[in-house]
Amino acid sequence: MSAPLRDAAVVTVRRVVLWVPDWPVVAAMTQAGLSADAPAAVLHGRGMLAVSAAARAAGVRRGMRKRLAQRACPELEILPHDEGRDAREFEAVAAAAEQVVAGVEISRPGLLMIPSEGAARFHGSEEALAEALVTQVAEDAGCESAVGIADGLLAAVMAARANALIERGQSHDFLAPLPVGALVHAAMERTQRIEVEDLVSVLTRLGLTALGDFTALPAADVVARFGHVGAWAQRMARGEDVAPPVLRRAEGDIGVEYVFEDPAERVEQLALVAAYVAEQLDTALLAAASRCSRVRIGARTVTGEELVRVWRTDVGSRSGAFSKHMADRVRWQLEGWLSGTAAGPQPAPLTALTLTAEDVVPLGSEQSFLWGGTSGADARAHRALERVQGLLGAEGVLAVAEQGGRTPRDRVHSLAWGQEGEPARRVSHPWPGRIPDPAPATVLPVPLEIHVLDAGGSPVRVDRRLAVSAPPTWVRLQADPRDRVARAAHRHPSSGHVGGDDGPVWAPPLPVEAWAGPWPIVERWWSGEASRRAFLQVALRGEDGQSEVTLLVALQEGRWMLEAVYD
Amino acid sequence: MDTQGTRLAAARAALSAVESRMGADRKAAEGPALALDEALAPVLPHGLRRGKVIAVEGSTSLLLALVARASKEGAWTAMVGMPHVGLLAAARRGIDLDRLALIPYPGAQAPAALGACIDGMDVVMVGQGIALSDADRRRLAGRARERGCVMVVGGSWTGAHVQLTVEKSRWSGLGAGEGRLRERDVTVAISGRSVGATRRMIITLDAGDPPVGSGGSARRAAVGDSVVGSSAVGDRALGTGAA
Repeated sequence: MSAPLRDAAVVTVRRVVLWVPDWPVVAAMTQAGLSADAPAAVLHGRGMLAVSAAARAAGVRRGMRKRLAQRACPELEILPHDEGRDAREFEAVAAAAEQVVAGVEISRPGLLMIPSEGAARFHGSEEALAEALVTQVAEDAGCESAVGIADGLLAAVMAARANALIERGQSHDFLAPLPVGALVHAAMERTQRIEVEDLVSVLTRLGLTALGDFTALPAADVVARFGHVGAWAQRMARGEDVAPPVLRRAEGDIGVEYVFEDPAERVEQLALVAAYVAEQLDTALLAAASRCSRVRIGARTVTGEELVRVWRTDVGSRSGAFSKHMADRVRWQLEGWLSGTAAGPQPAPLTALTLTAEDVVPLGSEQSFLWGGTSGADARAHRALERVQGLLGAEGVLAVAEQGGRTPRDRVHSLAWGQEGEPARRVSHPWPGRIPDPAPATVLPVPLEIHVLDAGGSPVRVDRRLAVSAPPTWVRLQADPRDRVARAAHRHPSSGHVGGDDGPVWAPPLPVEAWAGPWPIVERWWSGEASRRAFLQVALRGEDGQSEVTLLVALQEGRWMLEAVYD
Repeated sequence: MDTQGTRLAAARAALSAVESRMGADRKAAEGPALALDEALAPVLPHGLRRGKVIAVEGSTSLLLALVARASKEGAWTAMVGMPHVGLLAAARRGIDLDRLALIPYPGAQAPAALGACIDGMDVVMVGQGIALSDADRRRLAGRARERGCVMVVGGSWTGAHVQLTVEKSRWSGLGAGEGRLRERDVTVAISGRSVGATRRMIITLDAGDPPVGSGGSARRAAVGDSVVGSSAVGDRALGTGAA
């Protein structure tokens, strides 16, 4: 039943695979500055993910536990796993390969795929192409690689591992004697790899150890028994996958750089530079016949730090407004960096400024950028807020988002309107022990000290076991210091206040009607911003005896603080 | 059945028929209203009309609840001079934070910043500690009327169309050292230029686990609505929720 399928002329793309063995460890060693002959391994989870050649010679294997590996090779350098680093470092290899061929597909960090036909014709033969690739990668990226050429993806990957060149039409015979475990090498994503590993383990237990045995099974039965993974595996094993490589084209960023002759320290120096740079970016975008919806503003300080912020720009369709609009944002951002109001490192003079366009689209094909369509109301609102930002500065208008946290204040993340950034903490994380809903409608930006007193008038304490020393009975809030009556009462000897006129002015105590808590929140004890707090919800009877005031108060370092009001 | 409700409906229908025949349709002159939560409909029977100024005193939650539904349905909102507002509470009430801009400290530029917001936003919330003269207030209210922007003001505002004052709020769920805040009933006094005599009613602002807008709270609000009284009305006479 499989014979007619195999005979049917399935034209697969002949492809070159360039494989760098043990890529994760090669990338990690490059970044750590180790020489290529050092024994090293990348640890992920509980086992070794990749092992360098020297370590392998010493007896360290993939999947080995850390302790076993260290016993086998005591001088082994153990490096952390980082997928981002693998992908980043592989860019150099891809760039080197692009010197030889026009376009490459990065299947995964460590594996490049190139359609062979045109490139082989250009270089004369497939052997010449392979040689050119290996040489260029060794010269430019400084790592050893293997090249294989075959029909179909799996055959090409296995050919690269064997450093072989499979003639056209020979792929099936080349694959047939290989173990079914080879299928794993054709899976490019982690989830797919797990599925294929399961399939391989089942096949092995069924006694199908060679790929030839697996391909001999009727295709319909394989689909019925193993589903789409089985069908995919059989197509791969037969060399009948037809999807061509998805090539990328290397294109430079659209951006401008400005290097200051003398490090810039004052905002006044920067106003003209901001306008000039924005104008340059506008010109560069026009020259490339594109528009962008975000701009990355970067600067380098004299201390060598790189500062980066992304700003949204929705003026793509408003031609002519772009450079002025951008100049404002660049100026605000630079002001923020120089004055130190923006969160970040210590302010320092700037030596260079770069503007890079992101989300670039060809002119005339702009999508509606935010929240679906830019309807009239959206555009109107954006323009109004930009005007207010022009009046008050960038930080005068804030955009807010919810973020993870335990106290009402921690759970809100704010950024200047138009700036883009990720909240520091994820909402989806569990955050055990957070203050229960409902959320208070008034949250003090800075907590205010208050007195929570027991029936005898001494402060309420909460001990380490969260026992309250006595039920809270009275609460004294701070009065408005401009309130003359309260000030007079505060000065009076009967207030219990002795001494000068300094310090907060306390209002008369209010009786507590009901209370709940304490809820302990002990956060970040390992860091400098550690805090231990105990929260109470307190309902008070107001001064007129009628109204009710409900507060969220926290005991921190022996002092009660008013955190929020449920008003 | 000839209940009070059907008689009122018939009278309103007759009035609107006359109005449309005479070309004096009040609805057309006042512009469309923004969406308002059903539970709050008894408080503002005319809805959240564009171009009006609504002042809310004594409760930030009520202010947020008034705006929530409109924001959820696509209105742009701005908060000017409200650095103390609990944004988590705003989000929980249904205000869409993606369409919310915060101008916490407008300072001396407050009239200009507010004017720009009124031009561009559908709803502008204004805080208490903001430097505005009476002339500024009149000018801004006029601008809001012209632009069809709803101003919801915390605190009092001279010349507000509707003034809502929360006279009393009562939380339930707290005990002597146990429980947590669960439900809240507030007594709202409704007065202002376009209201007439002061009315008082009780609404449930936080109803246990489901948010404002559940059927129960709407019914309860309706019970309070039928009681129209002077300022001397006691709690008990108001209806159900004052325990």
